[in-house]
Amino acid sequence: MDADFIRSWFRAVAEDVATHRDYLTQLDAAIGDADHGLNMERGFTSALDALGQDGTPGGILEAVGGTIVYTVGGAAGPLYGTALRSAAAALPEGREFDREDLLSALRAGLQGIQRLGAAVEGDKTIVDAWGPAVSAFERELRSGGSVADAASRAAVAAEEGARETVPLQARKGRASYLGPRSVGHQDPGATSTALLFGALARTARGSL
Amino acid sequence: MTAERGTVQSVERAARILRELGSGASRLGVTELSERLGIAKGTVHGLLRTLERQEFVEQDIETGKYRLGPAMLQLGNAFLDNHELRSRSLLWADSLASLVTEAVRVGVLNGPSVLVVHHVFRPDDSVQILEVGATIPWHACALGKAIAAYLVPERREALLAAQLPRLTGSTITDPRALRDALQAVAAAGYAFEDQEGIVGEAEIAAPVFDHRGLPVGAIGIAGPVERLLPDGPDEALVGAVKQVARRLSREMGAGRTAAHGG
Repeated sequence: MDADFIRSWFRAVAEDVATHRDYLTQLDAAIGDADHGLNMERGFTSALDALGQDGTPGGILEAVGGTIVYTVGGAAGPLYGTALRSAAAALPEGREFDREDLLSALRAGLQGIQRLGAAVEGDKTIVDAWGPAVSAFERELRSGGSVADAASRAAVAAEEGARETVPLQARKGRASYLGPRSVGHQDPGATSTALLFGALARTARGSL
Repeated sequence: MTAERGTVQSVERAARILRELGSGASRLGVTELSERLGIAKGTVHGLLRTLERQEFVEQDIETGKYRLGPAMLQLGNAFLDNHELRSRSLLWADSLASLVTEAVRVGVLNGPSVLVVHHVFRPDDSVQILEVGATIPWHACALGKAIAAYLVPERREALLAAQLPRLTGSTITDPRALRDALQAVAAAGYAFEDQEGIVGEAEIAAPVFDHRGLPVGAIGIAGPVERLLPDGPDEALVGAVKQVARRLSREMGAGRTAAHGG
């Protein structure tokens, strides 16, 4: 895989986030500021500019992360921005990367989020989708699967993780202020993370 | 669980039923409540019927399950209406919010947490959720740090000795570091919080004192870290918060010295 893989991935993310903007906002209205959809669309659309530049896969991912930090507001900007920049730093410096590199990058992204937010699985955050996605990606690689297989498994795991946030009571972020009232709503951050992994799976299938 | 000496067991049990209905699962049947609370079904049933007559709970006709009733809202509102700091802060909080175009919160210390008793939305068109009634660990918000810095030493040490949960990667959970931070708050007359409660969010707050010169609560502004702490705490915002806290303290009966955080 090369820089074009990263470009295709984040073009797909921008499309998916725009398509699901109202859905994300609707989820956020129940337990947050009702701005997640709009913020994500603005951020990932701005990040399209960063995709046009020349560079290594890591360089482009770093540029995307840098844009996200400043253009997506709220907690999502710093969290996604840090995730992508941490992932970028874990990619090799050359023009190519392999599936093990991608796994390391996804894992580094998760660690970046957890460093910043101190959330663990079950706190009703992005981590509830990102964590299972990384584990599923790794399991599939270890059993000999291709990048496309691994990314598909990760996307399914992220979706399930997002859905499983519904009965949880938020322990991190503004939603935690609602206490028991956060129960019964799907976490918007975990949902947008599922979109990120869904786009990764599509890109990986398309690049074969 | 047995009732403590001098307390009435049935009242305590009724209170536990109300708390259970108010936490998470909003509708529960007699059997579920009996199992969760370890109280015999017959007793739970009698308590529920009594609470229902007083409109503290109501029964869903279709499922037969119980949920909190309308009298609870009236009591919650009465609590807020009778809260002196909240009542006196309404106008000050409004004017502060429109002056700085950020959200304003007023909080009091409740155990190891700050209870938000008043919240004015950031005056723009955005959707925001009402944080009145929210409880935030004291060490993860500026309101809590502003109050803790001025408590009598024994109470402050008790707070520092209790659990200090981590809310973000930036939450200060080391008691020694927090003690130093509180000394700095007392020297500066205000507290700030840099993404210690929520990633991306900051707060600047100052204590409100009563006639004894003790902190009764705090008032502060909350918003995006890049606006509140562009390069450390924004001086104009700090000035506005301190001024409002001083005036509110005067209204709460604080003398001039106490009102200045001294």
